Amino acid sequence: MITLRNLRKLYPPETLALDDCTMTIAPGEFVIVIGPSGSGKSTLLRCINRLVVPTSGQVIVDGLDVTAATRAELRQARRVIGMIFQQFNLIKRASVMDNVLAGRLGYAHPVASLFGYFGPDDQAIAEESLQQVNLLELADRRADTLSGGQQQRVAIARALAQHPKVILADEPTASLDPKLTRVIMDILKEINQGQGITVLVSQHLIDVAVTYGSRLIGLQSGRIIFDGPPQQLTETIIQRIYGEM
Amino acid sequence: MRKSIRPALRLICMLLVAALYAKFLWDTEVSLLKLQRGLPWMADFIVRMYPPDFSVLASALRGALQTLEIAVIGTTLAAILALPLGFLSARNIAPPKVFYGVRGVLNLFRSIDTMVYALFFVAAVGLGPFPGVMAVVVYTAMSLAKLYSEAIEGIDTGPVEAITATGASRLQILRYGVMPQIIPLFISYILYRLETNIRAAAILGFVGAGGIGFYIQTYLRMMNYRAAACVLLILVVMVMAVDLASSQIRKALV
Repeated sequence: MITLRNLRKLYPPETLALDDCTMTIAPGEFVIVIGPSGSGKSTLLRCINRLVVPTSGQVIVDGLDVTAATRAELRQARRVIGMIFQQFNLIKRASVMDNVLAGRLGYAHPVASLFGYFGPDDQAIAEESLQQVNLLELADRRADTLSGGQQQRVAIARALAQHPKVILADEPTASLDPKLTRVIMDILKEINQGQGITVLVSQHLIDVAVTYGSRLIGLQSGRIIFDGPPQQLTETIIQRIYGEM
Repeated sequence: MRKSIRPALRLICMLLVAALYAKFLWDTEVSLLKLQRGLPWMADFIVRMYPPDFSVLASALRGALQTLEIAVIGTTLAAILALPLGFLSARNIAPPKVFYGVRGVLNLFRSIDTMVYALFFVAAVGLGPFPGVMAVVVYTAMSLAKLYSEAIEGIDTGPVEAITATGASRLQILRYGVMPQIIPLFISYILYRLETNIRAAAILGFVGAGGIGFYIQTYLRMMNYRAAACVLLILVVMVMAVDLASSQIRKALV
């Protein structure tokens, strides 16, 4: 589903965020990227939907070379890649429903959607997505009146409304307490197992990563230094990823 | 070394500021004595205004309406004109050359007040409300552009990124990621400018640029203080009503 080949990202003048990353993720996998702050987790995820343009190398998602895609192709690719963020990134003043409908923008009529009009199909899909995260009863509330955990669930519903093949989650629980961390990770796991959506999460908490990931990727200074099931993640490897603690 | 210089420097600064204030007070002929001597005249002025002469109510209302019209039309046109200027003078949107150029022009025109523009436009297009509108447009467009650009610079990139990630088009990103963040601020700034423009437009009549100011000036010159009082009363009521309405709307927006 996702293939990275020799991916490099250099932030000028000389910050090498990703260094020769190569990996393949099969459809339906639940992969967690671990590593210290600044190890390149965020950049790796953002290269997959080209929110960050890689310096060199190739990214292939669902058969399409994202790195070489035209603007129209890129939008087609992004449409099936849902993304959720550490800061939720909802439109604060808009209602919960309008936020979820934004997930349909890639499918909606290009002109009508500018006037806030979405077709009945889009409405139905948005409702269904909100139902999946159990927030349908809050559909009319303003997004910024919700708690952090609820806002992240709205963000997940927005991603689900895209009918994605892949979901990228960039530190989705870093702004939440341990209990809500489990709630959010459980939802992501359920989406992965119930709907077969490929999920790629970045996560700085090792115990959470070990509990949920069926495959872990260890990043250190932009290089992949571990790739395997959590059982193979030894103390020595953790020390190599996180350095001396 | 530094410690020994500092107190001396501070003392010199304080003396300098004190000297400046002394000169400015002397130059401006500020005098409590004169104020005290003037007190009976002030009282006389106010007494002569009472009771207000409501036989000129029709003129007062006509003037007030025209002032409101000048402010509304001027502010609206300015709000539209300021849009491109605002984007062109936002650091995170415009290329540096454009940014510095437009900012420079804005600062230049903003340093001159509405009243001075009114004199200029009266000379250019003649007496009446139209030069008043033009004066309001020029100054307000410049000041709104500045406020717009600051709102645009303060935008949260998170939602913009999130909307981009859904596969939205550029226009959709603008509409769903950018506009919800800046529109409420823009409207709030426009209403705030409307409030100040009502006040500004109220004295535009002094230089022949239309509105209620014409009646205030005329009655004062004719020493018809009771009529002037009626006009002033109407002005106060109108300003308060607009302020109240505008602040209610602004509260609802944020």
